[in-house]
Amino acid sequence: MDINLLKRLVRMVETSNIAEFSVQEGDLRVKIAKYSSNPAPVITMPANAVPAAPAAAAPVVPSEPKPAENLQNLYEVKSPIVGTFYRAPAPDADPYIKVGDQVSPGTVLCIIEAMKLMNEIESDVSGTVVKILVENSSPVEYNQPLFLIELNK
Amino acid sequence: MSDINFNLEEFNLQLDTHFIGTNIYFLDHVESTNSYLMSRNEDFENGTVVIAETQTKGRGRLDRTWLSDPKVNLTFSIALTKKDLFTSPAMINFAASLAVANALQNLFQLPVELKWPNDVLVKGKKISGILMESISAGSEITRMVVGFGINVNQSNFPGKYLILPTSVKNEYRGPISRERILSEVLNLFEQYLGFLKFDKKMLLQSWKEKCRMIGEKVKIESGDTQRFGVFVDVDVDGFLLFREGAQTSKITFGDVSLRGQ
Repeated sequence: MDINLLKRLVRMVETSNIAEFSVQEGDLRVKIAKYSSNPAPVITMPANAVPAAPAAAAPVVPSEPKPAENLQNLYEVKSPIVGTFYRAPAPDADPYIKVGDQVSPGTVLCIIEAMKLMNEIESDVSGTVVKILVENSSPVEYNQPLFLIELNK
Repeated sequence: MSDINFNLEEFNLQLDTHFIGTNIYFLDHVESTNSYLMSRNEDFENGTVVIAETQTKGRGRLDRTWLSDPKVNLTFSIALTKKDLFTSPAMINFAASLAVANALQNLFQLPVELKWPNDVLVKGKKISGILMESISAGSEITRMVVGFGINVNQSNFPGKYLILPTSVKNEYRGPISRERILSEVLNLFEQYLGFLKFDKKMLLQSWKEKCRMIGEKVKIESGDTQRFGVFVDVDVDGFLLFREGAQTSKITFGDVSLRGQ
């Protein structure tokens, strides 16, 4: 397991209301727990209530995204329609966003094209882009995850 | 008759709609009428129309350029914001292109045909193009903008084109009124949007009747890839059903042309 990811997980648990957290990657299983005289109860938090790691930290994406996806502060942006995914407004233009970029509600993330309808997908959350899950100009299905966004506090 | 100012009064007299064109912006210059209505700085009412005499950055799919001489053609966009219109975005494409085709047929008896998903052709040449754009916040479409370019009085089209262009003037000998064309397109478009709710099948059927490519061997190009097969049909969601050998697949985008063209 990536040591940076481990550090980040520790920091995340520290600054959150989570008392205990465990994750498994291959054979390695990591359990992080907070101890205090008055342990915080374990509650299922709404996704946006869990504090994120500082935005300045370089985004670390684990080789297997599975454990990270279970983290409560990661938000999946899904495709609203069947179509073709474009990261930029034109073939030779810069992409709307890159990994590490800050986004907020209204930031354009990508275009999904279906039958000459160019649908600009805006973020509906604030956070940092940690992963782009689809290759440029490839087909996407309805509800297919497109981006992973680490939510801001 | 060309190169005369657009007469808003004459246009308004012929307009017979309930919501399309209730608000009209008539602009001398604009980068693009679509971009104007896609601007996040302003909320536009459902059916707002922006007409421009000159577009400095008229565009089509994937930022392809839409060239149009000033004051002779029609370049306009319509904002749709009522969510019950968005249940079938593809059908809006069909409603828009069918409105242009039938307007040109009604007014000038032009032998119009439709090219999937929304070009209007006369004798194989492009007379109108449509670009639809939308904004989705998360998974919900909140605004849709339908942009129309119709070649009316332009007679020369210098430059390179994917499909050769033509205009009403090049296809019709007689008086041509831009105001009349625009009002007819808007009247029909609103009427066809009404079919979306009650008679989607009829709308699709009317569209298909004007699409000469159905059943033909076609080439589909997207990016660097070319595929050859048969244009089998268009389904209720507007997808092109494409058969290659024994396999039939749904196509959502790409440039379709008859094989050999």
